[in-house]
This record gives sequence, C-alpha cells and structure tokens, in this order.
Amino acid sequence: MAKCTIDGREVEFTAGENLIEIARRVGVEIPYFCYHPGLSVVAQCRMCAVEVEKMPKLQTACSTPASDGMIVHTDSERAKSNQKSIMEFLLINHPLDCPICDKAGECDLQENSFKYGDAYMRTSEERRTYLDLDMGPVIKKNMNRCIHCTRCIRFGAEVAGVREMVAVSRGNNTEITTIDGRPLETDYAGNYADICPTGSLTLKDFRFHKRAWMLKKTATVCEGCSKGCNMEIQQDNNVIERCIPRPNMEINRYWLCDEGRFNYHYVNDRSRITAPTSLGGKTSWTSAVAAAKEALKGKKVLVLAGSDLTQEEAKLLIEFAPKAFPGSTLLHFGTPGITATTQDAPADTLLKRKSKTSNLNGWEKLGVKGADSIPAGTEAVLVIRGGRAELPNLDGVSTVVAIGVFNESEVAAAKVTLPGTSFSEKDGTIVNYEGREQRLRRSINPVGQSKQLGEILMLWTHSAAAAPRPMESVKGVVA
Amino acid sequence: MAGQPKDFETLYVQHFHEEARALAYYQAKMEGYTALKKAFGMTADAIIDEMKKSNLRGRGGAGFPTGMKWGFIPKQSTKEKYLVCNADESEPGTFKDRDIMRYTPHLLIEGMVIGGFVIGAHHGYIYIRGEYTREAKLLDAAIDEAYAAGFLGKNILGSGFDFDLTVHRGAGAYICGEETGLLNSLEGKRGEPRVKPPFPAQAGAFGGPTIVNNVETLTDVPFIINRGGEWFSKLGKLEKSGGTRLFSVSGHVNKPGVYELPSGAYTLRQIVYDVCGGVLDGKKLKAVIPGGSSAPVLTADEIDVIADIEPIMKIGSMLGSAAIMVIHEDQCMVQLIERITKFYAHESCGQCTPCREGCRWMEDIIQRILHGKGKMEDLDLLLDITNNINGKTLCALGDAAAGPVASFVKKFRPEFEAYIRGEKRLAGHAPGHGGKHAEGHGEQHG
Repeated sequence: MAKCTIDGREVEFTAGENLIEIARRVGVEIPYFCYHPGLSVVAQCRMCAVEVEKMPKLQTACSTPASDGMIVHTDSERAKSNQKSIMEFLLINHPLDCPICDKAGECDLQENSFKYGDAYMRTSEERRTYLDLDMGPVIKKNMNRCIHCTRCIRFGAEVAGVREMVAVSRGNNTEITTIDGRPLETDYAGNYADICPTGSLTLKDFRFHKRAWMLKKTATVCEGCSKGCNMEIQQDNNVIERCIPRPNMEINRYWLCDEGRFNYHYVNDRSRITAPTSLGGKTSWTSAVAAAKEALKGKKVLVLAGSDLTQEEAKLLIEFAPKAFPGSTLLHFGTPGITATTQDAPADTLLKRKSKTSNLNGWEKLGVKGADSIPAGTEAVLVIRGGRAELPNLDGVSTVVAIGVFNESEVAAAKVTLPGTSFSEKDGTIVNYEGREQRLRRSINPVGQSKQLGEILMLWTHSAAAAPRPMESVKGVVA
Repeated sequence: MAGQPKDFETLYVQHFHEEARALAYYQAKMEGYTALKKAFGMTADAIIDEMKKSNLRGRGGAGFPTGMKWGFIPKQSTKEKYLVCNADESEPGTFKDRDIMRYTPHLLIEGMVIGGFVIGAHHGYIYIRGEYTREAKLLDAAIDEAYAAGFLGKNILGSGFDFDLTVHRGAGAYICGEETGLLNSLEGKRGEPRVKPPFPAQAGAFGGPTIVNNVETLTDVPFIINRGGEWFSKLGKLEKSGGTRLFSVSGHVNKPGVYELPSGAYTLRQIVYDVCGGVLDGKKLKAVIPGGSSAPVLTADEIDVIADIEPIMKIGSMLGSAAIMVIHEDQCMVQLIERITKFYAHESCGQCTPCREGCRWMEDIIQRILHGKGKMEDLDLLLDITNNINGKTLCALGDAAAGPVASFVKKFRPEFEAYIRGEKRLAGHAPGHGGKHAEGHGEQHG
C-alpha cells in the first residue's frame, strides 16, 4: 500500500484521499474552513496550506491528493506563518462579536483563531458591513460574520439540490446570499447552520436560547421517519434545545432534514399531557390506572400501538395485550395510508421517507399488522404511542384510553390518559426501513409525571389485585 | 530615428492596416490558409514536434512552451475536446492582441483550426474581452468569410476534419483572463478561477480536455507550420525563446504603440529610447513596468536588461504580456501604486482569503498614506501583507497585486515616507468605500 509521511509519521493511504483526512488518521490536525468532507473541494480559504517537500509553494491539503513517498510538514515555519496570516485576513472584517454570537464555543473561526492566530491586530481600517434580508423561518443570516467559505452555496447546489445560496458582487464586496434575497426553499435548511464555520448562518429556532458549552449531548437516532438518521440531542435543564446530525456514511452522511431536526419540539411543549388525567382532570397514577381499567372492563378492546414505539415496548405490548384484554386485537399505526413497509418509499432524493414513524419495520418483523381502519364491533380502544405516530380517527369509538405522549387536544375525548415517554426520554431499539437496528438513547428524564411504558404496564397489571403495597413490605423485600 | 525597426523580419506589423483584414489579402499577401493545408498532411505529433522546435512560449504572460502544452492533451480521452483562445487581454497596458484581431483575424482563425486539428478538438472558442466590441464584430465577419470559403465547418479542405469556431464576449472582468476563470465564464458560471488540479488539459471547458492559448500564440502557429520550427526559433535571439514578439508600449513615452521585435534582441532601454523615441517631453525616466501592471516595477537604473522572459525574471520582475509602461520623473509613485492596487482589489474575484481581504487592505493602507494618515510602520506592514499574499492564493491574481506593491515600497520608499511625514498630502478625505458598506442583494458594483 502507498505510504506518505506527515510530520514524521508514516501513514498508509488509498488513492484519492486528501492530506487533511490522512493527517487526521495519525492525529495531526490541519486547520481548515472551506473544506467539508461531504462537499466538493474548492481550496478557497487557504487555511489548510501545508509544506510538501519538492514543491516550491505551499499546497492546500484539501485539494492535494497524497502520493507515494510524499513528505508533508503541517507545522513548518512557512505553514504556521500562513495559518497566522489567513487568520489575520479573515478577522480584518469580522465583527468579533463572539460574546453575543450564538456560534461562540463551537465556532471554527473562534477555535482556529485561538489556536493558530495572533492575539494582536494590525488593522485600523473600518470594517466591512452588509445589510441582511430575511432568509425565511429556519436560518438567521449575519453576513458581517461571514468568511466566504462558500460551504452553504455548495451544500445547496450539491446536496440539497437547490441553487439558492449564491455569491453576488465581487472581491472584497462579495456577498453570500440567496438569489434575489429570497427566503430559503429547501427543507434541509438547518444544515446551513451546521456547516457554517462561523456565526453567519444560525438557527432561528436555537439562537439566544443557550450558550453552546452549556448543552449536554446525547447520541441518538432521529424518529422523524423510517430512515433512522443519526443525530445528537442537546439539552440543558431537562429541556431539549437543539438536535444536530451525527455523521453516518451509511445512512444520513452529514445531514438531517428540518422535519427531523425540529421534531423534538413536542417533548417540552406546554400542551403536552405530563400528568395522569381522568375525564379531563388531573389525578393520581393510582386512580388513573384504576379508572382506565374500569373504562375498558368487559369491552371488546382494540389495542392500537404507534409504530414510533421501540422493539422493547412492542414486545411488552405483544405480551400484555392478550393477557389484559382476552380476545383483543393488536394493530400498529403511524402514517395515514402506510400500514406496511411495502408502502414505504423515499419521499425525496436525499433522506426523507414516506413512513413518518421510526419503527414500522420493527413492528412488522414482530408480526404485528398495521391498522387501516377501526375493525367493526370495536367497543373500546387502548391507544399507545411515543409521540410521533399520527392518531387514526377514533370519532366513532365511545371509549378511548391513551398511554404515551399526547397533547391536550389530541386526547380531549379520551376517558383516561396515562403520560408516557417520547423517543428522547427512553432507551430502546428501532429498526429502520432497511432492517438496520439502532439504539435510541435517553437524553432527558421523563417530563413531569410521565413514566416509561414498562412501568405503566406494571402498574396496570399489579394494581388490580389490591391497593398499592405499603412501603414497609417493599423495604422488607429489598432488605 | 524612432519607430518600428526594419532591420529584421517581422511577421505582423507590416499587415497592421485596414486592407489586411480581408480573406483575399490574407491569401494573397500572407500565404493565408496554406499552413492549414500543410498541417492536414502532417500528423499531430509531427506538428507538436515542430512547435517544440520553434521554442514558442505562450504570449499571454506565463511564457509556457506551447508545444509542450499541446502535448498535455490526453490522446485516449473520449470526452469532447476544446481549443479556447484567450483574447481577454485584460492586463492593464496590453493592447497587442487587439491589433492582431483587428487587422489579421484570419491568422487567428487559421491558427485555431490547426490547433484544433492537433489536439483533436472540433469546437473552438475565442473568449474576447467585453470591451473589444469592434474586434468581436470583425472576428465574426472573418469567421463568416472562412466558413464560406470552406476553412471552417465540416470536412475542411477535404481533410475530413470538422472545426467550428465561436466568438464569446466577456463581460469585463480581469479575472476572466485567468484560464480557469475564463472557462467558468465561458460555461456561463461565475467568473472565478478553479482549483488546480485538474488542469484544463485534463478537465477544462464543459469538463472536456481543453487547451487555452493567447491570441498571439495561436497566430504564430501558421508561420511555424509554413516555414518550420527551426526558422521561427531563430527569429529569437535567445535560446528557448523563439519568434518575434509584440510589445505594447504605453505611458510617458514619445511614440507609444505596438512594436514587433525579435525575442530577446532589445533591452528595455533600447525599446524606450531607440524604438519609442525616448521619454515624453524630454523628462527624466523614473521607472519602467516591463510586463503589464502586475509586473514588479523597475527603476531607471535597472532597464539595461534584455526584454525577454528569463532576463527580466532574473532581476525580479516579469515580461508578462510584454506591456511596457514608461514612467517619468513627474509621476508620484504612491499615487500610481494606489491606482494599480485599486484595480486589483476591484478585480479580485473574492473567493480566496488572502486576495479578497489582502488586496483591499493594501488599498486602504495606501489611501490612508496618501491622505496624510499613514504611519511609518504601515510600510513594513504593506510588505508583510504582500508576503502573505504572494504564492498563497488560488490563482495568480494575488501575486499580480502583491508584486507591484512590494516593488514600489522597496524601490520608492522615500516617496511613501514623504507622505507619512506630512510633506506631501493628497487633497480631500480618504475614500471610505462608501462607508465600507458592501451593499449587495444582487447588485453588481462597478
């Protein structure tokens, strides 16, 4: 295999790999701004220029493929002086408003400035300023902070498939903007904020909410559709502030759609029911469970489970339903018109799929069928879901009991609602459209009095016999 | 006696008159389209060989050997190949290609058909400077003539070789004279250079292997085919630099204009004083810019140098497009470099950091100095900025901007210092670039 040497470390590479990626493998960081592994290489920022032996000029590591025997110095005097000068150039016109900028703390410009720049400025010239137009509901633009890396232009044209970000004017006046200042069209706009190496494009949804360094991060999977894009939930004080994509080359690469990115909002929404309710009024778990059991007693029950529930939850329900309601039917639901994986298909050319729940495939693998209508003779429905599955029309059903994540209007007609957990409040397994099993990870504690499904079913099963056992006996068992 | 010297063979200047434009003249007086016939009887390799023997070096500015460049086209490629003539002629001070296109357009057409034949291209483009409206029309007319006479189109001269030629007008951007910027513009994209590799010979216009040659380079081709590479090489007086060369001389000189001289035969001093009749109004010579405004300036003491690629490079400047700008003693060098720097800052495409930020920064500093707000340390800062731009940009525009500033500051430092000390000062306030407010939203700034 071909080998090259980077800062004295010999490293093997495959043809076509660029120096940034090869160096990363042996722990050598080459700083860059315009390079992004998911986008075309333009070598515009010039930050990644390194010294390559036998080449008179510095070479940009992003655009230089390694060759056998190549000897590269990323920390030579010339390379370091170039990094310092690029930082100086980039900051001539940058407002340095880090204290009020949302990107601070996770800003490439800020980090590279600390690492590779000079603490002193030599410019006394007036800074360049721009006027910004509204970019639509997702992205807030601040052109003054822009360093012209053109990642956003390339993302739109190459990934999102829409040429909406462009460079207008020329030279020092170059402005990165949308065509004619129109709002963004793509439904992948959130990625613009992710790839922006500075605070020029930020999420309207997130800005001024939290400083980046206060966020606690959990690696998990998006529940927005059957694709199973990898993402990270970022929360503080048990409130989800933001979701961002995690790279997974086999699923979502570096991207996340806006629907998936902003799906989490129902978790901390005010209208979410987070206390047990019976006939519209808040009550205790004990009396709510008792009321639920009373409501369904002796009736022909249909158990409707959302295909947004995990494999573990599905297994519990498959075991629970026939025991609790002999003769009942268990069906799953999630996306109107899609009851089986054969009806699921890509919804666009990038990531989205038609099934708007994450675990349709998993439920199908467990042998549960999808509900396309309420079977005749149904007297009562027990509906269980994670929060994403779209409820079927239950208007004709006189008795509804709901377990899971609902908002007030959704279960206004329910006799009893027992608050469960969303994808962000539990661990579990989901199976994506291609059969890939992935883990949901709990990033926040269940909101309010919400309980995990296992716990709710346990309450249900054991409360029939008697009132809750006194604490003493529990202590006895534990001891 | 000043003026075009006549003691050697010239190829061009005797035809630089209105009558020369017609196809009939070209065929009668310039062996028009005989080279094409001859070329069709040769193999591509034989022609490239002849080109290599001719020691023709690109006339656009970089001076790359043309024969070698043509040899870079991959023979096995199945992609459509293109020959593009760079007629953008955007380097300030250069106006030789304009005369070629204005008076001898058929020479260019013939050169391009031969070039297309050699590299296997069936479509050629002449990317012409947007301001050259008259020349674009003249070229179009000549191309029509050539089509009608069977020198363009299908099965040219019964050779079985097809070649179409299109004139494409630029929209007035210096950067579109850079070959990859030119190709982007030709394709209808934003005129900004591409990252190399891939070089145009691998992936150029519309993704196909492409050769981009200067006008004068291509018009030399018919002469070389007709009379042989060796003959052409011997027109030049230096090794590895063949042919005659068209010099565009401008500035404070008695007889500015286009002159044809053998490569490597004249010193800059001879060109200024003997060929062009000396400095305007009998003033003292102060400086010479030898190769278009991007070439580092030479002082009056440095001009005893042969005006050719290697000798001028050896003393730290460049011959470039052979555009000689003569500067006399009354010219303020600070004002001059301000104008030059303003040009490059304005023409920077804005994609790469050092050029986008550095060129304007230099312009700002120089303007500050001119308006009495300079500091002594600004001069070293300027030199430092030039060093940080030079060789570190995506294309050569950064170097083009940095080279002049460095040379002006180094060679005429006292003039800068006079401004800084307050002994001289330009009237009015330093322009703040419209409050440095870069209005945008689709608006193009002139």
